[in-house]
Amino acid sequence: MLKSRFTLLAFIILIAGLVLAACNNSEDESDGEGNDEEEEVNIYTSRHYDLDDEIYAEFTEETGIEVNIINGSADELIERMEREGEASEADLFFTADAGRLHRAKEQELLQAIESDTVMENVPEKLRDVDSQWVGLTKRARIIAYHPDRVDEEELSTYEALADPEWEDRVLIRSSENVYNQSLLASFIEIYGEDISRMWAEGIVQNLARTPQGGDRDQASAVVAGEGDVAILNTYYLGGMLNSADEEEVNVAEQLEIFFPNQETTGTHINVSGIGLARHSNNVDNAVELIEYLSGEGVQDQFASANYEYPVNENVEPADVLQEWGDFEEQDINLSILGENNADAVRMFNEVGWQ
Amino acid sequence: MKWYRSLKTTMNGWTILSILIVSFVILPNLSILVQFFSEPNENWLHIREYMLQSYIQNTLILIVFVGFFTLMIGTSLAWIISAYDFPMRKFFQWGLILPLAIPPYIGAYTYHGILNYTGTIQTTLRNQFDVTVNQDYFNIMNMPGAIFIFTLFLFPYVFTITKAYLARQSTGLIENARILGSSSWRIYFQVVLPISRAAIVAGVSLVILEVLNDYGVVKYYGIQTFTTAIFQTWFGMGDLQSAVKLSGTLMIIVVGLLILERVMRGRKRFSFTTTKVKLLQPVQLKGRQKWLAFSYCMFIFLIAFIIPIIQLLQWAFYTYEQFFATEFLGLIINSVSVAFIASTIIVVMAIIISNFARLNRGMLAKTFPKVTIIGYSIPGAVIAVGVVTLFTSVDRQLFGFYEWLGLEPTLIMSTSIFMLVFAYVIRYLAVAYNSIESGFDRIGTNFTEASRMLGMSVTKSFFKVDMKLIRGAIFGGFILAFIDIMKELPLTLILRPFNFDTLATKAFQYASDEMIHQAAIPSIFIVVVSGIAIYVFHHVLEKE
Repeated sequence: MLKSRFTLLAFIILIAGLVLAACNNSEDESDGEGNDEEEEVNIYTSRHYDLDDEIYAEFTEETGIEVNIINGSADELIERMEREGEASEADLFFTADAGRLHRAKEQELLQAIESDTVMENVPEKLRDVDSQWVGLTKRARIIAYHPDRVDEEELSTYEALADPEWEDRVLIRSSENVYNQSLLASFIEIYGEDISRMWAEGIVQNLARTPQGGDRDQASAVVAGEGDVAILNTYYLGGMLNSADEEEVNVAEQLEIFFPNQETTGTHINVSGIGLARHSNNVDNAVELIEYLSGEGVQDQFASANYEYPVNENVEPADVLQEWGDFEEQDINLSILGENNADAVRMFNEVGWQ
Repeated sequence: MKWYRSLKTTMNGWTILSILIVSFVILPNLSILVQFFSEPNENWLHIREYMLQSYIQNTLILIVFVGFFTLMIGTSLAWIISAYDFPMRKFFQWGLILPLAIPPYIGAYTYHGILNYTGTIQTTLRNQFDVTVNQDYFNIMNMPGAIFIFTLFLFPYVFTITKAYLARQSTGLIENARILGSSSWRIYFQVVLPISRAAIVAGVSLVILEVLNDYGVVKYYGIQTFTTAIFQTWFGMGDLQSAVKLSGTLMIIVVGLLILERVMRGRKRFSFTTTKVKLLQPVQLKGRQKWLAFSYCMFIFLIAFIIPIIQLLQWAFYTYEQFFATEFLGLIINSVSVAFIASTIIVVMAIIISNFARLNRGMLAKTFPKVTIIGYSIPGAVIAVGVVTLFTSVDRQLFGFYEWLGLEPTLIMSTSIFMLVFAYVIRYLAVAYNSIESGFDRIGTNFTEASRMLGMSVTKSFFKVDMKLIRGAIFGGFILAFIDIMKELPLTLILRPFNFDTLATKAFQYASDEMIHQAAIPSIFIVVVSGIAIYVFHHVLEKE
């Protein structure tokens, strides 16, 4: 009895040893030389473009500051920061929606970024009112249409797509998607609850099919004839135009772009933005990285590789985007998208937008 | 004195370890479970009014159909392969487990990619034959499509567990039925299905839990299920508390169903009592039957594995430069080592609990197995929250200790890989447990009791008797856990240490941003590594 228990115990110790070995291993990897004095900055990010990794690598080369990354969905990362509290290792929080940045701010996870360079690089409208986060790239939610079936004259505003003449012709993805939530959140700010609700109801009425797939799928569906217009983000079309798959290029080339609400309230925009973590231990390095990311060099890279609009006004958008032309943007502070997010989600559920 | 004696008989290493393991599982979930009893708030009322009814309906349709189809496909394949001999049977024995290596959400993207407007089929029709088809016929992004995807990529759970069971099942029952002249169909429905009930339940419940937990497929296909409600509540409304209430409800339903099955099974147990563990001798099929059996297996293998793989290879070809730009070797090492370590721990723990539950009576023995399922029935992201809470608070407690060791008082445990492995164990304990339990279920307790009567301790009996009898089930449990961890997403994404990437996180990062071409190479690597694991373990088992 004693002996056999001993065997079992030995077995368990062995396993525990294995685990510890694995721990040490990974720590060696993540700490590089394992040196405490080494300069570093830790980012919690929901963006996952290869380009971002390249930019961080260049930053490290220029400044000697190591960039460490944890990837995840924005909401999960917010939750993790919240749970970690003061002990959190996060210095920066980087995500692709102003609403989420605002949520991080509301949960007191961020602090003000103090840097004149950053304030110069990023226009006021694309920053948090207390400078706790700043936008780094801009994307517009536009209408894509098939020129054979839709005349540009027919298009005017987002609201018009809720009119009866568009019945069975409109394509847009699920309301679970944060870009749609932010779109409705902006309407709630501009038009108030009642009109926004009527708009959502109207769109549901006019849907060509139950919402499914991503933004690229909406584009394909227009070309395939399932619907005539689709509401989607600009950079997905940019990505399709430059796809390795000829068919995707083919689809994107058949579509025309329309910036809605030019005569009225402006086209809805959102940002990818970065916030400075409240409990950061490397504030200086973090601010230096934000300055770097909002600087002209990186802004140019963002713009050309990912078909997003640069926030830095000294930088030109990519050629594709320039062809689409300039446009008027919604004139609201983007924090609003976060403030109205929960209301938007509820409204979507109530009108039955899947 | 009496209580002391009963304590002495039951309190051995197995009991203590079981209690320890179970508390490990419960601990991080406590902070979550507590919220289940909180007062319903405004959001909760909103959820109840607008979401619950249709979401529950969708979820039920999904699990009933996926459960049914995986049961039929899984058990029929297991039966054909165990009982008959036909071309390529040896290959199908492990080849039909391979679809498990393709994460369902990758399968969903892949099939959509094949069938959609810019996909291979429609493009060929359009460009070569100038045929434009009605999109409705090619639309897979709906309920039947989701059922199709889940069935294809999850049926191996049922197949593997049932096959392991049939291969060593009291061959007698089946051979007697054969001698008595029963037709194959009759044997299948009247002998095979009833005697392998425990294995089938184990397999199908894994399938159902996997479906309940999925977020990738249903999100992409736009189907609103219970999981959608959980995530919309948490992320959309920022209300973790109500989200947890929803997961709690889900968990109670799942556990309820499992208990119901136990009750219905009642005292029907089919364990063999002879020492002759004879392998089922496959009957050589002839003529048309031979090719029928072959075509059936081949058809399933094609649609569940070959076709998606070909599509992934085509996409990988578009993005081959990425192969040189990314350090895939590092990703593979990361994926394999965490999966290996975690599944080893999982298997050991599952053995301890199932052995304890089987040899003891009373409340503890009855409830412990249900606890293992907790981790599997709560969405991964919610578990992650519980685990982070636990580890950061442990770290805070240990600040003094860290300083004493001369370290900086920072988060050490909760930024190490230990946290991730711990979470995997909680999450996938049920996978290995179900497989091992069905193994124990098959051998019953007769041998152990005999061994105990002959004076061996529980531990000795286990190593000398039981373990040898259920080796197949143990390996089966290990493979399932290993592959699951290779594919795992939410936990890995959120709990990993800085700069720790795996194949699955890479694949997901691309897929989630509609860069499906770029997701192909890491996905293929997941399939290759899992495929090798399946092959190796199959051969280990064959050798016995």
